[in-house]
Amino acid sequence: MKRKVLTLIAAASMLIASLSGCGTTDTGTAQEAAVAATDTPAADKEEAQADSSSSDAYQGELTVMHFSTEEEAKGNPGADGFRKMVAEWEESHPDITLSQNILANTEYKTQIATLAANDDLPDIYVLQGMDAVRWGADGLALDLTDVVVNSPDNVKYKKELFNAFTSDGKIYGIPALTGGTCTAIIYDSKLWAEAGFDTFPTTWEDVVKAKDFFDKKGITVMGFANKDQWQANSTFLTCIGNRFTGMDWFSSLVANDGAMFTDQSFVDALTFMQNIFASGIFNEDFNAIDHYTAREYYISGDCAAYIGGNWDMTYIGATLEESNPELFANSKLAVFPQPEGATGDTDTQANGLGYALAINPKVAEDPAKLAAAIDFIYKTTGADFANYVSSNYAVSGLTAPDSVDLSKFNQLTQDLYNFTYVDYKSSQIYDSFISGALWGALNTDLQSMLNGDITPEAVAENAQAAYEEVMK
Amino acid sequence: MLNAIRPKNRVIFGYLFFPILLYIFSVFVPLAAAAYYSLFEWKGGPKKTFIGIDNYLTLIKDSIFWQSFGHNVFLVAACVVGQIGLAFVIVLVINSRLVKCKGLHQTLSFFPSTISAVYIGFIWMMVFDYKRGLINWFLTFIGKESAVKVWLNEPQTIMIVVAIPLIWQYIGYYMVIILSAISSVDKEIFEVSEIDGANAIQRAIHIVFPLIKRTLLVCVTLCVAGNMKVFDHIYAMTLGGPGNESNVMALYSYQMSFQRSNMGYGSTISIGIFITSLLLIGGVQLLVKAYTKESEDY
Repeated sequence: MKRKVLTLIAAASMLIASLSGCGTTDTGTAQEAAVAATDTPAADKEEAQADSSSSDAYQGELTVMHFSTEEEAKGNPGADGFRKMVAEWEESHPDITLSQNILANTEYKTQIATLAANDDLPDIYVLQGMDAVRWGADGLALDLTDVVVNSPDNVKYKKELFNAFTSDGKIYGIPALTGGTCTAIIYDSKLWAEAGFDTFPTTWEDVVKAKDFFDKKGITVMGFANKDQWQANSTFLTCIGNRFTGMDWFSSLVANDGAMFTDQSFVDALTFMQNIFASGIFNEDFNAIDHYTAREYYISGDCAAYIGGNWDMTYIGATLEESNPELFANSKLAVFPQPEGATGDTDTQANGLGYALAINPKVAEDPAKLAAAIDFIYKTTGADFANYVSSNYAVSGLTAPDSVDLSKFNQLTQDLYNFTYVDYKSSQIYDSFISGALWGALNTDLQSMLNGDITPEAVAENAQAAYEEVMK
Repeated sequence: MLNAIRPKNRVIFGYLFFPILLYIFSVFVPLAAAAYYSLFEWKGGPKKTFIGIDNYLTLIKDSIFWQSFGHNVFLVAACVVGQIGLAFVIVLVINSRLVKCKGLHQTLSFFPSTISAVYIGFIWMMVFDYKRGLINWFLTFIGKESAVKVWLNEPQTIMIVVAIPLIWQYIGYYMVIILSAISSVDKEIFEVSEIDGANAIQRAIHIVFPLIKRTLLVCVTLCVAGNMKVFDHIYAMTLGGPGNESNVMALYSYQMSFQRSNMGYGSTISIGIFITSLLLIGGVQLLVKAYTKESEDY
């Protein structure tokens, strides 16, 4: 009997120990978070309380999930600016415990999808453009149309950036972080001058002509990466497609207004893409390496030009400035050349903002909490954020900065600013819209197509089937 | 006497309660949940629409799933031969009287199986790299430039390329199992056969192999189960590419669930993995039983 009692006590104590173990950890974390959130000098607190807005009526926890990690913030304007604004907001709201769940981008996407599936999203989170329509319709993102209208920064908002997050006139996310080009070419102007081009070629035929010259030098004409499969879409097709189809085609596709992937103009774009990748101007291993590796080819002088997004251009600039001042001085930016047979606008580049801050509709049950969440979003996407990233990095996000003084930045940064916001027309970034289900299917096929294993027509048909499945 | 020291059933239940609870929550509940979700059209949000077996009908016709299944089967075959076969040969070599520092060989061979699969993937990416990889460097060094390839972008050979790291990593693991099996065999048997004039190959085929057959069969089952759920090596090396040429079932399920937000169909693929694995493992065990019985009769 004694043994039985002992066994029961042992079993019960194990259970209690395991449960209380979990409890202790959670409480500890919450307490630490609370301490971290409110651990400011008393004087600062008083000052912060005096400055605080009406949202201070809310006292309690506000959960935020994003991917602006500390590592990402080193050199990434959007992540750095976002973290800076969050820290400032946290300091000015001492009564609110801000619980941040910060993950690296890839892990963030997996976890937020899992939380959405369980209807267990945090109060504020980063929403991808391609998810906005469905998540809004599914009640996972609060309608923020009035929040946008009533924003103190409304007049400074670049309204077109809301397109990816708008469905049936309702806005489900307020674009966050910084916008930039996804389709830029950086090139070594000295090398290209030697090849006979004082400026970067304006047609792809001329780019191909330069191949002989660079072959003799043992240099690849252009560096590109597509191991992760999204690059061929986001940093190439999204611009080239538009050159063939014109801007209206994609707008029609987004609105489900008649445009189809099997339309001849889009198939022509795919055919051009297959041919230009087969021409040998790109590094042979483009389908096997990621952009972190491919951009090193340009930095190390293995290729005369490189195609990538703003994230690559800022990295290449920062690296070359220290390691190779000569190449840094010779590096210039160019817009994609025009393909033969393309009838759309020339000099376009895909530009936009693929992420927005969204609010979990459950937050609206507590008006004070909702006010705090809205205040958080105004701070992290508004004028303070815009002025910080423009004065420190010469980039901008949703809100136009008060002024931009380019003179204090190096030439490449100035060039990137003008390239992105001033000199060229912007086209929409394909995968900021519609659905990840569509782009996942298309991107996989694109990789095979660039290897010559599947025809452009088959890629278009598969994409159309995936599109119809998404739109039904 | 045995009954006297046997604990009461309640005591046994008390001790077994937690492992069983753990098993139920970590294996049975997710499996049952996946089976349940597979009956819904569920695109990731809170809305689920019951569609019965529609997802399964799609799965049966899904060429990418069957292509991925084929890749898993290829990996199983390659690893049974490569991991267990090579481990068996290496163990025989290490066991030879001519080899010194046996302990060192065993430890070094086992070492790769302790490294995270993602790191293994990265290490081998450096080996297969087009510009700076070891293989292409070697081919250039011996004057075979024409054989230089983008190894991770060759649809015809990509499955062999991704199988190599898998084989390399787990040879040591099976070596340890096989070594322990051989060491439990009476050494006199080997000595007698050697005196009788049997050479190394004859001893391996006619003496060692039949004596450790049951252990080898356990190894085969482990190998099949492990390779039907392989994910991280492929994820690190190719992400299933080029196209779907190196995709495997677990990676396809992940892509469907999280990148394409189709949780219902992703769950269906998970159940597909479970059923196909069960059939394959069951088939292997049936073959094994038939073979064992035949051998015993003989």
